[in-house]
Amino acid sequence: MTHRDDRFRDDDHGAVEEPYTGLLTQVMTQTLDQDYLDVARRRGARVGDSPPGWRIGAVSVLLLFGLMVGLSALKTDQDQPLVAVERAKLIEQIENNHHKLDDQQANLASLSDEVATLQQRMTASMADDRKLAGQLTGLGVDAGTIAVTGPGVAVTVDDAGYSVGTSGGVILDTDLQLLANGLWQAGAEAVAVDGHRLTSLTAIRFAGEAITVDYRSLTPPYVIEAIGNPDTMPARLLETRAGQIWLDLEANFGIQFDVAAKEKVSIPGDARDRLLYAVAEAAS
Amino acid sequence: MIAVFGLALGVLAGLLLEPSIPIALQPYLPIAVVAALDAVFGGLRAHLDGVFDDKVFVISFVSNVLIAALIVYLGDQLGVGGQLSTGVIVVLGIRIFSNVAAIRRHVFHA
Repeated sequence: MTHRDDRFRDDDHGAVEEPYTGLLTQVMTQTLDQDYLDVARRRGARVGDSPPGWRIGAVSVLLLFGLMVGLSALKTDQDQPLVAVERAKLIEQIENNHHKLDDQQANLASLSDEVATLQQRMTASMADDRKLAGQLTGLGVDAGTIAVTGPGVAVTVDDAGYSVGTSGGVILDTDLQLLANGLWQAGAEAVAVDGHRLTSLTAIRFAGEAITVDYRSLTPPYVIEAIGNPDTMPARLLETRAGQIWLDLEANFGIQFDVAAKEKVSIPGDARDRLLYAVAEAAS
Repeated sequence: MIAVFGLALGVLAGLLLEPSIPIALQPYLPIAVVAALDAVFGGLRAHLDGVFDDKVFVISFVSNVLIAALIVYLGDQLGVGGQLSTGVIVVLGIRIFSNVAAIRRHVFHA
């Protein structure tokens, strides 16, 4: 505050001291070195030039200045091609990388196309697999290699307690064969005799005194289980020739012949699931 | 006359002889040139004002160049070399413009 008051007073009295100006203003107005003015003021008192030694100094300084200007001009000139080369190299790199990027993007597109194709193919082959597995299961059921379960009937047959004639009252292998065929005829999908699955290779025959199924001896009573429609199978069985003959056997020889519908029948698979000798002709 | 001759000789020597500058000093050459330019235009203006003095010119030239280089060097060591260079160039540029304007007034009386 007091300083400003002083300044105003100085202004009023025709100030000798310069008032404070801003830094920028100072930079822009006081361009001439104060020294020149000071020295000139002093020299004004005693007229005469500065010693000749300084003149040589001034000229050599100017020489030095020229040298510097020339050198930096030269250096900039020399640097220019270098900078241009570097720039060109960078541009080339950028373009190269652009090309590389384009290539890789194209590659990516073709690869994702390929992935899509392969996925489609995989889906198709998975569907094929499922179909084939279904077919295999169906074939296995038909061939008797796969254990199956479902509704069906159980036929229990037994020898008569007494013997009639030479063979009356005893169930023969032909009787069982007849019964099994009758069940097939009645719409059975799988048949087992005493837990032995009947397949295309299963034989029912006499060996000595016992009936063998699949070369294993059985003892009466025999239980023949079949999977099929439990409502229609018993009636259809009785309508077949086998049914008629068995009814005769029951009536004439006292052989037990019971047909019962069952909610659930479980029939095991035949363990022998491959042929030992036969080979498909196409495969050989 | 001698001054102009010295200047031309210096430029020629710089261009023709191509003396190698130490690598360490190379970054300070442009800023030194700008500082020297300020001193030279100051001297020219003083000459036109009639107050030129060889001693003052030599000292102002040398100190200008040294201080400018020193400031930039200091800035480099502090990690603000670019900014300090810009500051020095702005101040010196303003001074050069003003000096040139004064010289123009002397030469063209306008």
